[in-house]
Amino acid sequence: MSGREVFGRIRAVFGLALAQLRRSPGRATLTVIAVALAVLSVTLLASLGVGVVDKGEEGLESADRDIWISSDPVDPTASGTQNPIVGAHGIAAEIHERDDVRSATPIAVNDVYIGSEPDELQRHSAVGVESTHSGYDFVEGEGFSMDDDPHERPPADEPQTAEIVLDPRIADELDIEPGETVYVGTSRETAAATEFTVVGTSRHHSQYLGSPAATVPFADLQAIAGTSGTDRATFLTVDVADDADREAVADDLAAEYPAYDVRTSDQQVQAMLEERPLVLASGATLVGLAVLGGVVLTVNLFALVAYQQREELAALRAIGLSRWVLAGTIGAQGLVIGLLGGLLGVAATPLVTRGLNYLAADVIGFERLLRTPLEVYVVGLVLAVCVGTVVAIATGWRTGRYATLEHLDG
Amino acid sequence: MTILNRAVRKTVSSASEAPGERASTTVRLTDVTHEYGTGGGFRSRRERTVTALRDVSIEVDPGEIVGLEGPSGSGKSTILHAVTGLLVPTAGTVELHGTDLTTLSDRERTRIRRRHVGIVFQRFHLLSSLSARANVALPLVQAGVPKSARRERATALLEEVGLGDRITHLPSELSGGEQQRVAIARALATDPDVIVADEPTGELDTATGETVLDLLTDLGRDRAILVASHDDTTLSVADRLITLRDGTVVSDGG
Repeated sequence: MSGREVFGRIRAVFGLALAQLRRSPGRATLTVIAVALAVLSVTLLASLGVGVVDKGEEGLESADRDIWISSDPVDPTASGTQNPIVGAHGIAAEIHERDDVRSATPIAVNDVYIGSEPDELQRHSAVGVESTHSGYDFVEGEGFSMDDDPHERPPADEPQTAEIVLDPRIADELDIEPGETVYVGTSRETAAATEFTVVGTSRHHSQYLGSPAATVPFADLQAIAGTSGTDRATFLTVDVADDADREAVADDLAAEYPAYDVRTSDQQVQAMLEERPLVLASGATLVGLAVLGGVVLTVNLFALVAYQQREELAALRAIGLSRWVLAGTIGAQGLVIGLLGGLLGVAATPLVTRGLNYLAADVIGFERLLRTPLEVYVVGLVLAVCVGTVVAIATGWRTGRYATLEHLDG
Repeated sequence: MTILNRAVRKTVSSASEAPGERASTTVRLTDVTHEYGTGGGFRSRRERTVTALRDVSIEVDPGEIVGLEGPSGSGKSTILHAVTGLLVPTAGTVELHGTDLTTLSDRERTRIRRRHVGIVFQRFHLLSSLSARANVALPLVQAGVPKSARRERATALLEEVGLGDRITHLPSELSGGEQQRVAIARALATDPDVIVADEPTGELDTATGETVLDLLTDLGRDRAILVASHDDTTLSVADRLITLRDGTVVSDGG
């Protein structure tokens, strides 16, 4: 058989497949949508994954710290009640002394009660930091007015600065503006007796924690949490010197402080994702089910088409058409549907992503949560081709089984 | 033979191995016995078999129309399936132009069937999603005939069966008689030497059936035609009648 004949036959098979699809537009549309949804679910989840990782990296980058030192659990929401690093100021000062380190600062996270009245308190996460900076992108007001060296500040039992930056949503709920006073404490009793002045509003830490958060000076958070004595922190963040290699510094610090986890900012994002296996597994399961659903629906539909036409297929086999040509006509329909659905899913990805991003920004305050680099579209297209091929093989195989003498009846 | 017929035959033959020496007898069944096994399966210890044909010998010459008559289960369809190479009998030989089909592989039998046999079914078996022309052209797809030649051949055949104005119609837009005429055109697409028709008028009313039979015998002239039927009117077109009962030939030439 010559190449021209083979090409002519393949062309004819696709022509027959398209003719059959044209005669059943409803069925073709339904299956295209099923495959498109499967591909869309994959591209959207991939976009979300890329967005979450980027967001985490951006969050860590905006903190502009090269190395993060923590002690399990890293999960900031779980460690809210317990800051596992003890003697944070001492360790920070030790690390700060190194030649290859420019600065080392502790960060604490605690759940606190905040209210505009002593008897009207709400629970929120509070982040304790040494200082605020321009990356906070203040909606109103400004950061803390601290100008002394944090390493020389002695631990205190009472808040010394007593200033707080609120997430704008907390400020709205409490109907508070910068310059006004709020009550803050780790229990309802202590909160009623501790006043902080609101100096500004910012979403800076809320995006990292995933809920509206307040920001207070590190020492003040220790004071209201009662951890000044043990000097506890959730993280120690380290900024390496300009000429230092942060991987090497991280390795050095890991050797020096074996009780703690020392990670570069990239590794930190990875560690945070690894601590959410349930979320990752749920996402993978949903995508798996969507893909499986799309494939099964399409294969089933075309297997039914083949079954409905079993007598005709058997007759065509009898008049001399090969099993491959017959399987090809049905399989090519599956391939065409798979590719069309895949392209539709990929084409719909930027539109749906934009919609979901708008929703995410509006509801939970995350900007550009889903991101679609070229790789996401490539994944979608590869999946479309794979789905098309699987559908083609499965339906073609079913067709081949029907094209036999047993199904020839009259 | 028309110029178009010759062109198709040339295209079909060019894709094949050299055809055997043309014998004067187109179809020859010699001592054919066929048993259908019902398959014992793992639950059944005994395999039960049904004898569909017993020592059947038939010859059909070019230009001859042979009718097969007999009650259901007498073996008419089994003979047609053996002639077309759709089944290999348990014993005996089935020769088509001197080539014994029983010695060939499934693929070789399919190739022979495609080139030398046209089949007309009782229930037409047209693909509902394809036009009349595309249905007629289907056997030529497998033969590797180029698209333009396929269309030309299919259009010419549809004109021959009186459906020149229906070439783009779907089967659902055609009457039963018209569908069977499309099926006859399809059977002639590769210009076969043998035409087998299994109850070709079974789904048609008497008048339409007669028209279809006239067409079949007219277009099938010079070819060997085997027609299996219960219907006396259908069988009346036969030059020779073979009567079957319980898988055996009880009369030949009646």
